[in-house]
Amino acid sequence: MKRNIFAVFGLCAALATTPLSAGEITHEAGTTDVPDNVKRIVVLEFSFIDALASVGVAPVGIADDNKRDRVIPAYTDIIGDEWVSVGTRKTPSLEVIASLAPDLIIADKTRHSAAYDTLSEIAPTIVLDSLGGDYHDSVAQMAVIGEAIGKKDEMDARIAQHKATMDAYVTQITPLSEGLSAQFGVTNATGLWLHAPVSYNGSLLEMFGFGSAMKPAEGDVYEKVYVPTTLEQLSEVNPDILIFGAYANPSQVDSWKGETLFEDLTAVKSEKVYNVTAHNWSRLRGMLAAEKTAADIVEIMKK
Amino acid sequence: MTALRGQPGSVPLKISIVCLTLAIACGTLFSLATGGRTDVGLADIFRPDGLARTVLFDIRMPRTCAAALLGVNLGMAGLVLQAITRNPLASPAILGINQGAALGLTLGVVLPNTIDLPLDFYALTGALTAGVVTFAISGGFGGKIDSLRLVLGGVAVGAFSYAMVRFTYTLDDDIARSVIRWTVGDITDIRWSETKRLAVWAVPGFLASLVMAQRFNLMALGQASARGLGADPRITLLLGTVVAAALAGASVTVAGPIAFAGLIVPHLAKFLFGGDHRVLVPTTALLGAALMLVADGLSKTLTAPIEAPIGVVAALMGAPWFLWHTIFARDVS
Repeated sequence: MKRNIFAVFGLCAALATTPLSAGEITHEAGTTDVPDNVKRIVVLEFSFIDALASVGVAPVGIADDNKRDRVIPAYTDIIGDEWVSVGTRKTPSLEVIASLAPDLIIADKTRHSAAYDTLSEIAPTIVLDSLGGDYHDSVAQMAVIGEAIGKKDEMDARIAQHKATMDAYVTQITPLSEGLSAQFGVTNATGLWLHAPVSYNGSLLEMFGFGSAMKPAEGDVYEKVYVPTTLEQLSEVNPDILIFGAYANPSQVDSWKGETLFEDLTAVKSEKVYNVTAHNWSRLRGMLAAEKTAADIVEIMKK
Repeated sequence: MTALRGQPGSVPLKISIVCLTLAIACGTLFSLATGGRTDVGLADIFRPDGLARTVLFDIRMPRTCAAALLGVNLGMAGLVLQAITRNPLASPAILGINQGAALGLTLGVVLPNTIDLPLDFYALTGALTAGVVTFAISGGFGGKIDSLRLVLGGVAVGAFSYAMVRFTYTLDDDIARSVIRWTVGDITDIRWSETKRLAVWAVPGFLASLVMAQRFNLMALGQASARGLGADPRITLLLGTVVAAALAGASVTVAGPIAFAGLIVPHLAKFLFGGDHRVLVPTTALLGAALMLVADGLSKTLTAPIEAPIGVVAALMGAPWFLWHTIFARDVS
């Protein structure tokens, strides 16, 4: 009996000291063995911060584009501001990531697939389609992240709560959006990029009952998801509601004001052109981000 | 006189004229019939009405005219540079003049403006400075241009200018975005105001080249012969540099640097119409226009619905020619 007690005690001690595999996490680049109790997580997209913040976990490294204020207060209130910047999302610094000795890296399919092998040498890496995926994908990714960081139950509870919140928004918005098309796009000093119906924002608008006249396209992310659009092309899409996020002042869209083709747009004629915070709509994806977007849409529909 | 007129074209004159006319007509229709709206096409050009009229007059026509004028400007700049340097590889891009204009524009944006000068001024100053430095390196103002030093000087000036332009990418985001416009040849969002700015330089540039055509013919005989016939080659070089810099600078201001157009158009013109610059000046202008009209149509259709920058299309058309010419030309040095 005594021997058995020692054996159980010994096993528990062994379990406590050796990292055990949380199991196989299946993701965009294959399957990765992620250890239990990951503590040092590096995230290479903003939507992964959204996931960690949802269950109160702070990453040690963030690809924050070297601009710490790109991590909005809604996230820093939960994760604090102790993270180390690992560079831009486009080209994060592998050296800085390695120096943080992470035990999990969460990377984006579009931006980081090419570096997957290198990242995997640094730490177990899971790859998720944040940039190219839609809203529903982004919620599914939250569940994968919850499982990878060993907080499946907490994450599932947060997802359930989020879905209830979004259902309430859908009930509130759909009676107002019936028969209307809405289009979101970001504009800087040199161009306009419309977010197609297959994009994160496009799928959110679709969920809220808005239509879209954008033609589906094939190709990479910047051909089918975030589509560069000229004034002539915009006049063909011609939605009832136009939502712009501007990264520059004056933006390309501002330079079109006064032109007949722009002034003849349905949304412009009926004064249904709205400006939203480009960063929140365009760069952030996830549950908290989606709830913010939904709140913005409610505001727009009240006007 | 035969010597002054240069070699006749390799193609009968009638065929050359038919080819040129067809190229311009097809290029114009191609450029006008293509664009962002798929429902505005060839038929609407002849019966414009309502929305199609707005699209054609406000969006497509200024762009089509701009493409043609860019072709005129770059073709002429290339012809003038090839004539004054007597080097078939001379062009605004190879001699660093395009890049110099981009650097001028960049400095105009980055440096705090004490005097409010138009952007054209900065482009022209940059282009002219780059041209003068390249020619000084090649020994041109001493009366004898060394071909190798000319091309190497152009590469050095171009590389330096571009390095400075790229440096500004590291500055503020808004500055970087403005500067990027002058590193890729692009006319996606051209309206009548920009087209007018191109025309303002194209017309005097064309007339000046026409006036100087005989001087270019004399340069073709060799610098010593030109001097003997009363046309000081150094003056031709200086005047030609000013004309080429103005034409290239204006083009860079509106559309960014477009490589190869300035290089291949004069060669095509010489192939079709011979070596007399009094004929070459107008034919190069028209051929340049035709080439850029076709390039504009291709830029809107090759990767539709997303547009490829016209600079990329021009490079795709011009690079093989440049390679062929470099490998097979007998009179490079």
